[in-house]
Amino acid sequence: MKILTKRAFALFILSLLLVSGLIVFIISYINNASDWVQHATNKHLYKNGQLQTTGKIYDRNGEVLLQTVNGVQKYNDNEIVRKAVMHAVGDSYGNVVTSAQVAFGDRLSGWDMVNGAYRFNAQRYKPGSDMTLTLDAEICSAAYKALNGRKGTIGVYNYKTGEILCMVSSPSFDPEKRPDIEGNPDKYEGAYINRLLSAAYTPGSVFKLVTAAAAIDMIDNIDGKVYQCEGEKIIDGDKVTCPSAHGNVTLKQALAQSCNVAFAEISLELGGNALQKYADIAGFNTSLKVDGILTAIGKTEVSDATGGDLAWAGIGQYNDTANPLTFMTYVGSIANDGVCVSPKIVKDRGGILSLMPDFGSKDRRIISEETALILRDMMRNNVIEVYGERNYNGLKLCAKSGTAEVGGDQKPHAWFAGFMDRDDCPLAFVVILENGGSGSKSAGPAAGIVLKKAADRMMLQ
Amino acid sequence: MGFMIESVKLYYNEIVALMENVGATIGIYMSNPLELAEFYTLIVRWIFPVLSVLILFRCILPLLRDGGPNHIWGFLETKEGYRIPLKHWENSIGRSRLSDIVINLPFISRSHAVLSYGENGWTVTDLGSKGGVEVNGEKPDQSRPVDAGDIISFAGAEFLFLAAEDGCETIEPKGKLNWLINHGSSFNNIKTLLLILAFQFLGGIQIYLTCIGEGTHLSIPLPFGLYILAECIYYFFLCRFSRKYMELELLIFSLCGLNLLVVAAVYPDHLMKQSIAIILGMIVYTAVQVIIKDLGRGRKFKYIIVVCALILILMNLTIGEYRFGAKNWIDLGFITFQPMEFVKFAFVLAGTATLNKLLTTRNLTAFIGFSGTCIGALIIIRDLGTSVVFFTAFLVIAFMRSGDIRTIALISSGAALGAFAVISFLPYIATRFQAWGHVWEYADTIGYQQTRTLIAAASGGLLGVGGGKGYLVGIPASDTDLVFGILCEEWGLIVALTALMSIIFLSFLVLFLMRGCKSSFYAISACGAASIFMIQTALNVFGSIDLLPLTGVTLPFISNGGSSMVVCWALLAFIKSADERQRPEREVIEEGMVE
Repeated sequence: MKILTKRAFALFILSLLLVSGLIVFIISYINNASDWVQHATNKHLYKNGQLQTTGKIYDRNGEVLLQTVNGVQKYNDNEIVRKAVMHAVGDSYGNVVTSAQVAFGDRLSGWDMVNGAYRFNAQRYKPGSDMTLTLDAEICSAAYKALNGRKGTIGVYNYKTGEILCMVSSPSFDPEKRPDIEGNPDKYEGAYINRLLSAAYTPGSVFKLVTAAAAIDMIDNIDGKVYQCEGEKIIDGDKVTCPSAHGNVTLKQALAQSCNVAFAEISLELGGNALQKYADIAGFNTSLKVDGILTAIGKTEVSDATGGDLAWAGIGQYNDTANPLTFMTYVGSIANDGVCVSPKIVKDRGGILSLMPDFGSKDRRIISEETALILRDMMRNNVIEVYGERNYNGLKLCAKSGTAEVGGDQKPHAWFAGFMDRDDCPLAFVVILENGGSGSKSAGPAAGIVLKKAADRMMLQ
Repeated sequence: MGFMIESVKLYYNEIVALMENVGATIGIYMSNPLELAEFYTLIVRWIFPVLSVLILFRCILPLLRDGGPNHIWGFLETKEGYRIPLKHWENSIGRSRLSDIVINLPFISRSHAVLSYGENGWTVTDLGSKGGVEVNGEKPDQSRPVDAGDIISFAGAEFLFLAAEDGCETIEPKGKLNWLINHGSSFNNIKTLLLILAFQFLGGIQIYLTCIGEGTHLSIPLPFGLYILAECIYYFFLCRFSRKYMELELLIFSLCGLNLLVVAAVYPDHLMKQSIAIILGMIVYTAVQVIIKDLGRGRKFKYIIVVCALILILMNLTIGEYRFGAKNWIDLGFITFQPMEFVKFAFVLAGTATLNKLLTTRNLTAFIGFSGTCIGALIIIRDLGTSVVFFTAFLVIAFMRSGDIRTIALISSGAALGAFAVISFLPYIATRFQAWGHVWEYADTIGYQQTRTLIAAASGGLLGVGGGKGYLVGIPASDTDLVFGILCEEWGLIVALTALMSIIFLSFLVLFLMRGCKSSFYAISACGAASIFMIQTALNVFGSIDLLPLTGVTLPFISNGGSSMVVCWALLAFIKSADERQRPEREVIEEGMVE
């Protein structure tokens, strides 16, 4: 019998194949069941190709952003709110892939892994579960108005809790009265894209915050160092220019004046590898996960750059790109003493999940506390010395502007990123206006309006 | 005081509003009394997964006790008085490590002889050894009977042959993993039976309550009642007349219960037929066990069955009917059945051989001929899924019989070429392969059944939406090819996976029993039966969830179908016959505990 016992190995292989196939299925079930269940032919969720009912989507104050009434999707009553949160909530056709309706469709339809599509007494109770977003509809409206039809994006988040209060992207449209988007490609360019999450822009001078962080850590006696700016500098045949000669500047003054020549010299001093390291830490070259929604990747590739390329890279040009939300998270970490808090968009995680600790969001230190403090003081100094404290009265604003050259005859992108250094109002923000011109002059005021609104709303609660 | 009044006034309106809400809610409840079925499902859908996991464990653990040989049928005594036990009905003797009795002397051949017990008592068979075999000084041609007290000499090494007293002696085998398995010995199998009956009873009520009002009042409870009654009767029959472990039957009872629940959801009208098929299966199962208990009878039975199978194949080729693209049904007026299902049983039986035959002739021609006939017939009647089942079982059995990897590899590669040719020339097969792995791209055409299965499986979650509440039942062949999807959707992933684990366990049980098998007849037939179960499960389940092309074979014990059910029970008899162990008497256990 020993010999047959050995030969029965064939059967053993057969049953192992069966077991491994089952394991493959279980893994695929865990990963994909939420997609399978959303197929339009699933009679548990759909009738005649229409979702029977979805849960409601609320903003953080209980304002209904989306509900289904008698099988028809109904968005917020206010048209401005509808447009302002369109990218966060999504349209009825699933065009915005990062929207709650797409990303959390399984949950909104009432599906979960344990219960499947089962709902107790489906006739009487609505199937589908509600969800609350961290957004504040009023701040979003204010941001949408501040954008005033210009293409761009405004984001505001709480750098202590990670909650995104404002996520507005323009151009937007009213999901209840869908305009002819395909017919107006210019007006609705990228209307389905949430620019805060899914775009990557040339950062321009806001990138100097990354270079400055590297300089503070890596260059000895950076406080005492003085850089001489004569308005331009030739590096290996490449010309780096400033609007005017800044004279002798320290790092602090160079950041405030946004002196390209000084930062070009600092970049050369740091070298490509150091700059690359600090850019990677700041979130470049990686995708951020916001409750499972992946952001676009901002890129910095300077490890091999030298001379003029390296100099331009250090001031946010060359081939640098930045994702708005990722960069907002970086300035948020400066505000939060160097600790990066993952941004999130879902306020209640729902069901049993809400009872368990959130393993998804990990706070991690990306800048040392000392460096973060120095950067904060320098950003505060920017506002007081250059942008004008009276424009941002009472906000205790710390910020950096950016005017990113995009080549050709196009006007530069206007960036304004920073935070409020207030314990009662710990908000970081980013404002980008595509081809908006000067960062501090066009994006700055929009940021001011939104932040004042946000501060008022926070005080109110 | 004024403040108090103020606050009461402030909250008065809110309190009134709240009371109105509560009142309205109660009013709604009162005016629309909740359906009993809704409440029932709400509660029992949590009970089924627990029951199924419990049943699986309570059946598996006791079956893994006491592996290995546990009887001694005789002895070979050396001149020095040392006794070598004969633990099987067929014992190979030789110098090779793989012999049952290893005699490590240089003049002994690697495979020297076989000492076997059959209808005419003990026989010794020379395997063409150099040194030869002598019994009492006589050299037999090839084999000759031996009696107790005979001196057997293997190339000069002499042994005194002794038969065990009372036919056999029981020995206490040592198993691995005893800490886990001994825990299983405390399981009371009447309790396991009650858990199984509870599952079926609650499940039957679940389906009944869901389907009520569709004019199926008695067609559901009656077959369930009949089946539960049959289970009880069979259980007591086993208790009374069989001393073997009963957990194997219990495990299959629970699978057949799932079969009835699936059929009740898809075709309530077929339920009576199906429960009769299960009962018929139990009878066939018992009959096969009794017949093959005696090896001589088993061999005669084998030839009768093979002849019957050839007749069935011939009938299928001539008077068969096409259903779902394959000509695999026979309608005799009073009964319709799938003949090729029954041929599976004959196929496994045809593959068996006793160890002396196996080691002397090494001749596979007859078996290859029969296999070729079966597979050829299946290709002609366009039942390719079943031909894959036959081919895999053929490979397993042929390897068990010959141990020759090269021949098997040759046959496999030939078959692969043949399969490639078949796939390229038959367009309807090619479309199945086209959909394979891309079902979502063809969600409404050639990937229709697979995508619906995946959607159903996802909709069920871990606990299921409740028996009779699924939508997969409306899809063609949902009760046979897509039955895994129905289990997932209505009863949940946990129940579906435990059902599959029960089937997979059959294969591990066979591997576990292999060492202790009396005869290679049982070993080969059990392996053949288990390999048919495994490959059918793989083709059925993986076909429906797009890990393999959809081929349309049944899931053993769970798919709807009378022929398939009866044959699965018949094949199970092979596995059961490989199990020689006796269940410990309860009194014995209790005495042990007192000590």
